Amino acid sequence: MTEPRMTHEDALELAPAYVLGALERSEEAAVRDHLATCGLPHPEIQAFGGVVPALWDVDDLELVEPPASLGERIMAAAAADLAANPRGASASATAPTPAAPAPAAPPAGPPVAFPSTAERTARAERTRTSRFDWALRIAAVLAIAAVGAWGLNLQTQLDASRRFDQSVAAVIQAAGQPGAKTVVLTAAKDAKASGIAAVAPDGSLTMAVRDLAPTSGTQVYETWVIVGEAAPVPVGGFTVGANGTASFTTRPAEAPVGAIIALSLEPAEGSTAPIGPIVSTGLAIAPPPSN
Amino acid sequence: MNESQHGLRGRTATSADDADRAVLALVTAGQLDALQDLYDRYKTMAYSIALRITSDAALAEDVVQDAFLGIWRNAGRYVEARGSVKTWMLSIVHHRAVDAVRRRRPTTDLPEREDVPPAALTLPDVWQDVSAGLDREEIAAAMATLSEVQREAIELAYWGGLTQQEISERTGTPLGTVKSRVRLGLLTLRRSLVRDEDGLAEGLAGDGGT
Repeated sequence: MTEPRMTHEDALELAPAYVLGALERSEEAAVRDHLATCGLPHPEIQAFGGVVPALWDVDDLELVEPPASLGERIMAAAAADLAANPRGASASATAPTPAAPAPAAPPAGPPVAFPSTAERTARAERTRTSRFDWALRIAAVLAIAAVGAWGLNLQTQLDASRRFDQSVAAVIQAAGQPGAKTVVLTAAKDAKASGIAAVAPDGSLTMAVRDLAPTSGTQVYETWVIVGEAAPVPVGGFTVGANGTASFTTRPAEAPVGAIIALSLEPAEGSTAPIGPIVSTGLAIAPPPSN
Repeated sequence: MNESQHGLRGRTATSADDADRAVLALVTAGQLDALQDLYDRYKTMAYSIALRITSDAALAEDVVQDAFLGIWRNAGRYVEARGSVKTWMLSIVHHRAVDAVRRRRPTTDLPEREDVPPAALTLPDVWQDVSAGLDREEIAAAMATLSEVQREAIELAYWGGLTQQEISERTGTPLGTVKSRVRLGLLTLRRSLVRDEDGLAEGLAGDGGT
């Protein structure tokens, strides 16, 4: 199927609208194709196009600062993208290879009451980071965990990925509040669920979790907060669809630094103590001092 | 914003340009901090352009996010000889904002939403920052030289996201007249912005002016 080619004269005539973006996108593509293949010069594109930046500087473009959360979202999405598509390996980015690294599954076991060495190291590292790195590191940790869990089959999971990006953004936003704590959720034995959460100053927990097995029937995932030796406190449950991701905010609860956050798969809503298997756990840690 | 004192002798690289290009190279290499840098520098312009076009804060945020992710993924496609990094980036923002408002209108032929519309990333390749060395008063004065109808046509096209055909329908003006208003409007702007006119304008005045 060959489309009628745009003539040089057509392209000349469309140049003003082209530089303003006032063509149908199909026409615009035709002009672009013409420019890419035509041997004649097109000074009119430069001449008209060069005027366009002046339109940004006119007095009636009101300058509005975007909300801070937008930058955080963008950086989180870029970090996730980088983890999914490492630079310098672009040729193999979409070609699945059997040599996929195994997910770095943390040793599963009962929730621990104190930060592990790894968590302490991570916390110490965070305190040295620059002003941007806080949100970035959360995103990067997550994204790397996500890639490990997902393997290379990313193309088919774009929708879930986008959903997850959005829930991560919500977590990052909650984590940015003064006094907020963060939780990295890692998969328990025989489960793959991992994610990140932030404990807001009011004690509510905003979570982004992926690779959860879908719930069926009356099943729910229940969120538990465990402080010291006290019994687990249920703070809210949710169901999970086929995409395996969850974005959820719990009821407020007392969740100080060192509290354990756990997700269990319960047979029905309303459990007062965990019955079903624990699928993911994490530890509430304090953010680095702001500097 | 007053980073340049250069005149209008075609494209003149400014130190801000050089800095942007260096930062963009780091973006291409996958440095997140570099992206943060570019974002911090141009977020207000980008968001303001998107907001002006969409008149919708949430949509404008989506547009800016989309654009910066496109920049993040495709920084390697930037071609230095064809314009400044700033122009390239803000053109991507403009393009996506227009896509966003057109998507809300049922009448255009915009394709279904793609992940990374390639068009957005190559459109501004040939643009030049003619206005780089002008201050706002000079530009405002140049804008004032446009006739009311020329200005309206350019505004509906650039800020309204309308195609020439849509402008014609909305204003009840024949398509040919819309085309000449856009052409003459841009030409007038160029003449008043580019003081040492290189003779281009004379050649451009005639063609297409129905």
